[in-house]
Amino acid sequence: MSAGFSWRKVSTEAKLLLIGIPVALWTLLPIYHLALFAISPKDSAMSGHLWPDHPTLRNFVIVFTQQHHYLEYFWRQMWNSLVIAVAVGALTLFVATGAAFAISRLRVKGGRAVMNLALLTYFIPAAFLAVPMYKTMGVYGLLNTQWALILAMMAIAAPYSIWVLKQASDKLPYELDEAARIDGASPLQLFRLVYLPLMMPSLVAVGTYALLLAWNEYLYAFLLLSNDRELTLGVALGNFLAADDSPWELLMTTGLIYALPPAAIYYAFKRYMVGGLTAGAVKS
Amino acid sequence: MANVSFHAVEKAFGTTKVLHGIGFAIDDGEFVVLVGPSGCGKSTLLRMLAGLEEITAGTIAIDGKVVNDVESKDRDIAMVFQSYALYPHMTVGQNMAFSLKLRKAQPNVIQERVNHAAKILNLEPYLDRYPRELSGGQRQRVAMGRAIVRDPKVFLFDEPLSNLDAKLRVAMRAEIKALHQRLKTTTVYVTHDQVEAMTMADRIVVMHDGRIEQIGRPLELYDHPANLFVAQFIGSPAMNVVHGTIRRSGGGTVVDMGDGVQWPLLDGPGVEGQSVAYGIRPGDLSLASSTAPGAVPGEIVVIEPTGAETELLVQAGKAQVTLVTHGRPEVSPGERVGLVVAPGKVHVFDQTTGERLAA
Repeated sequence: MSAGFSWRKVSTEAKLLLIGIPVALWTLLPIYHLALFAISPKDSAMSGHLWPDHPTLRNFVIVFTQQHHYLEYFWRQMWNSLVIAVAVGALTLFVATGAAFAISRLRVKGGRAVMNLALLTYFIPAAFLAVPMYKTMGVYGLLNTQWALILAMMAIAAPYSIWVLKQASDKLPYELDEAARIDGASPLQLFRLVYLPLMMPSLVAVGTYALLLAWNEYLYAFLLLSNDRELTLGVALGNFLAADDSPWELLMTTGLIYALPPAAIYYAFKRYMVGGLTAGAVKS
Repeated sequence: MANVSFHAVEKAFGTTKVLHGIGFAIDDGEFVVLVGPSGCGKSTLLRMLAGLEEITAGTIAIDGKVVNDVESKDRDIAMVFQSYALYPHMTVGQNMAFSLKLRKAQPNVIQERVNHAAKILNLEPYLDRYPRELSGGQRQRVAMGRAIVRDPKVFLFDEPLSNLDAKLRVAMRAEIKALHQRLKTTTVYVTHDQVEAMTMADRIVVMHDGRIEQIGRPLELYDHPANLFVAQFIGSPAMNVVHGTIRRSGGGTVVDMGDGVQWPLLDGPGVEGQSVAYGIRPGDLSLASSTAPGAVPGEIVVIEPTGAETELLVQAGKAQVTLVTHGRPEVSPGERVGLVVAPGKVHVFDQTTGERLAA
């Protein structure tokens, strides 16, 4: 028995488990059903059993080989999702980092006002902005191109990203900038050689946030893209429900596959996510 | 190396004026300490010299060239910050090499300069470490190393020792002084600690409320403070100051406290009836018996032995004065004693202006 054993510790653990187990079950149950559908044959998919009589991976084969008319562009749409998500992540990061640097480090006049205005846009639910956004993209001739969705998602992700990065930059000591200026750094060199390396954890967190936001987006993707070949996989999944005899097992299989990349990304960067997104939330 | 001059320098933040016409010159190779209580404008003045703050009015010149509109990086100065401001993501070596890299120096030149600085500062074993792996004193040395690799015209130090513990502070003080004696680079050093100022400076600039109170060599300021502020700021423990009226009648000139206590002025300055502040340093008082002729009577309040010296707090009339004496006097609290003023060590200041009265 370890030296740290005590009943007090056991009781604390027990209490945590008592809360943790129901929460975990609550969260995992839908995912379990998702997985259950994915490994069930078509005829028993809706049987309601807790485990299929004849579990199969056939659904995955169908999805990967695009053997259903709903899945005609599976790989293409998966690629679209990926390109759009990565583009949104990268471009948001580019815009937000620049803005945060200008506001927090260069102390550009009116910077804070601009940031607050941007944050103010969150008072309007994104759903209300969908139609104006559609109209705007139409005016610029971007409808039905991936740029429409990328730009729209950037507009949605940027204010929060700027705010998080600005808070994180505020925590870097200002003397570092002054030291670099005296050492001979131009603002761009300061940005590249001092600011970016020190902001890396926050940048990873914000980039991941924007990427996942775009990956999971449905409404805007549905509105701004219409050609099957341009769709993201998320919207394509929704189209499964267009018919009365929706292939539920394939829908769930595709859904499961669609859910894996975000999970992997989150897992890979979770060290940064927790630290980065809360950085600056509390003055330390 | 270079000289530095300030001419009628003013600084305002919005409508708040923090520096009111500062003017003085620093000679080539001189070690000048700006000292004053917090908020006196000393750091602001240093930051203006560094180019980190705009100059509201007046001019600052380095080597005869006005630098008001010259960028920090082009002023050829190096600065050591209170918080060290080391780049956390760079090793000690990279920190020191950074400025040279930005100036596109040859790699072998950079290497040579960094090694040279590391050798002077005993940092050679730490070149590959990160700042977080160093102690406070080592970080401070890296900050100095970063300054000296550049071989700048002027070194600027902004309270560099404030973050160190007392023992290390004394050690680093000596180290910075030794470094200056070795490199002979013009240095401007800001501190609120008058002991640091006294021990390190060639000349001290005492500042208060955005103005210069006095400029001079450390012992000059100590022996001949120009006004009451400098008198009380320089010296530890601080100078005793009591307020009274000059009486030149009767048995010798005195300053009468009005509470029965009279401090001997001997041949000190001032005219009959003048209200003055009478200053005497704790070390210029000595103990005598309470009945000794000419001694100021008092009662011991507190005794603070520090080993070599003993500090006594003595109640003399309404005033409390401090006395420092070598050795360990055999007195106890409540005991009546006499205070003897060392002749010629009295400082007299005008009560209203605070200016020193000429002897």
